[in-house]
Amino acid sequence: MSTIIEIDGLTKQYGQLTALNNLSLTIEQGAVVGFIGPNGAGKTTTMRILTTLLQPTSGQAWLAGFSVTSQPRDVRRVVGYMPDFFGVYEDMKVWEYLDFFAACYDIPQSARRTMVDDLLALVDLGHKKEEFVDNLSRGMKQRLCLARTLAHDPQVLILDEPASGLDPRARIEMRELLRELKNMGKTIFFSSHILSEVADICTSIAVLEAGHLVAYGDLAEMKQKLRPHRVVHVRTLGQLEDLQRVLIMNDHVNGILTSAEVDLPPDTIRFDFTGSDQQMSSLLAELIQGEIPIVSFSEDGGDLEDLFLHLTRGIVS
Amino acid sequence: MRGQRAFLLMTAYLLLMGGLIFTVYLAYVASSGNNFGPSNRQAGKAVFTAVLLVQVILVLFIGPTFTSAAIVGEKERQTYDLLRTTLLPARSLVTGKLLSSLSYIYLLIIVSIPLQGIAFLLGGISPIELLLSQFLILISAITFALIGLYISTVLRSTLTASLTTFAVAFTLTFGTPIVAALITSILGPVLFGPSTPAWPVQIMLIYGGLLLAATNLPATLVISDLFLVEQDALVYFTDFIDGRLAYIWSPWLPYIILYILLGLLLYWACIRRIKRVARK
Repeated sequence: MSTIIEIDGLTKQYGQLTALNNLSLTIEQGAVVGFIGPNGAGKTTTMRILTTLLQPTSGQAWLAGFSVTSQPRDVRRVVGYMPDFFGVYEDMKVWEYLDFFAACYDIPQSARRTMVDDLLALVDLGHKKEEFVDNLSRGMKQRLCLARTLAHDPQVLILDEPASGLDPRARIEMRELLRELKNMGKTIFFSSHILSEVADICTSIAVLEAGHLVAYGDLAEMKQKLRPHRVVHVRTLGQLEDLQRVLIMNDHVNGILTSAEVDLPPDTIRFDFTGSDQQMSSLLAELIQGEIPIVSFSEDGGDLEDLFLHLTRGIVS
Repeated sequence: MRGQRAFLLMTAYLLLMGGLIFTVYLAYVASSGNNFGPSNRQAGKAVFTAVLLVQVILVLFIGPTFTSAAIVGEKERQTYDLLRTTLLPARSLVTGKLLSSLSYIYLLIIVSIPLQGIAFLLGGISPIELLLSQFLILISAITFALIGLYISTVLRSTLTASLTTFAVAFTLTFGTPIVAALITSILGPVLFGPSTPAWPVQIMLIYGGLLLAATNLPATLVISDLFLVEQDALVYFTDFIDGRLAYIWSPWLPYIILYILLGLLLYWACIRRIKRVARK
C-alpha cells in the first residue's frame, strides 16, 4: 500500500497559543483513520491545513504527493472535505446543490445529471431530489454534504465530526455510509467524539491532545499494548464461592473481583486471564465439569473509551 | 432571488417609480405659477431628474448593500469553506458574485429607462443627455458594487459589512460637496481677497473643482449636464480667462477613467483576498 497522506512536523500557532505541535504521521491508501482527542486538541486545525484552508506556521503535509501549501489546487482535486458545521443555500434544491458543487469541480454539464443521481442513490436521498435543501432533516443534510464531498470522486475524504448532532438512527446510517465508502477504497480521515463509532469502522486511530500526537496506530495493536492480559466476566446462578475456588487454582487467572468489590452485575466475577485461547477453553470446561452453573462466560474486548482515557490527560491547548 | 419574489419586487418598484413621476409632474404643474401650465420642456426635465435620482440611489446605496453581503454571507452561512475547497478559481467567485448582484440592479435600472421616455415625450431632454447619464450610472454601479464586494471579503458579519459599505458610499457621495464647501469657505477669502485672483489661481481652482467633482457621481451628472445644455459641450469647451485660452473639460470623462481604474483595483484586491489562505 502506498502513502496517501503524509504529515511532517506540522505546527500551527495562533499568537502565543500552539494549536498543533510538530505533528507527524502517515496514512496508507484505503485506511480509515479515526482522529480523536478532547475539544481544542487541534483536530479541526489539522483538517483545515490538510484541506488547504489554513496556512501552517511550520511543517509540511502532502496529499497524494501534493503539497498543501504549494500545490493547493492539486490537493483539492484529490480531497473531499466535510466540515463540522456546514451551511446550505436557501432556495436551492437537493439536485441543484450537488450540481452546483460538481460544476465548481469542473465536472462537465453532460456528466453531472447522471453523477447527481448516482450520488443521491449512494446516500439514499434519491427520493428527496426535488426538495429544497433547507427542508431536509439534519441527518439528511449531513448525508447530502457527504455526497457533495464525493462529487469529484476524491481519493481522500476528510470528515470533521461527520456524525455530530445526529440522532441514533441517522448515526447508524452515517456509519453504514462510511463503511460503504471504505469498501469503495476511499481513504477516510475523520474526527469524532463518539468513540464507539470510531472503534466500529476505523482501521487505525490517531489520538491528539493539546496539539501533540499522543498515539497513532492499529486499533487492535494499541489495545493489546495497553492491556496485555484479557479480562473475562463470568456469571453464575449463585455458587460464587465454588467459582472463585476453581479460578484461584488456575495459573493463568489473576485479579479476581466480585460484585461485592466493584460495580458488576450480581453473581458475577471479573478476572484477568494471561493464557491462550486453548487454556481459556480448558478453564471453561473445568468450570462446567465442576458443576458450577455458568450463565455467561465472556471476554471483555476493552473499549476505545478506556484507551482514550488512558492515553489522554484532559489537557486542551 | 427566484420564484415570484423577483417579479413582485420589480412590479412594486415600477409602480413606485410611476407614482413618483406622476407626483413630480403634478407638483411641478402646481408650483409653476403659470396660468397656462408649465412648459413641457421644464416638466420633462423634472421627470428626468426624478428618475435619475432614484437610479443614483440604487447605484450608490442599494447595489453595494447587495454585494456587501455576497462573500461575508457565505462565511456566515458556512458555505465559504465548502467553496474554497473546490476548484473554483477566486476570479470566478468574484466575477460570479459581482454579476449576480449587479444583474438585479441593472435590471431595475434598465426597466426604468422607458420611464425616462416620458421626459422625451415632454421634450425635456436630449438623447445624448439620456445616454450620458445612463452610461455614468452603469459604470458607477460596477465600481460601487465592487466597493461592497471588497468590504465583504474583509469583514466577518453581514451587518458590519453593510454598515461599512453604506458609510463609504455616503462619504463618497456627500464628502466631496462638504470638502468643496470647506475649501471655499476657508481658503476662498485667503486666495481671492478683495480682488479677482491671478489667472493661474483661477485655472487651478477651475481644474481642482472639476477634478473634485469627478470623484462624485451626483456632481458629475449635474455639471456634465450643465456643460451639455449651457455650453453644448459633450467633452470640453474653451473659454478665455484673463485673455488666455483655457480648455474646460466636462467631468464625466475623468470620472469614468477614475472609476474604471478604481473598479479594476478593487476587483484585483477582491481576488487577492479570496485567494489568500487563512493564517488564523
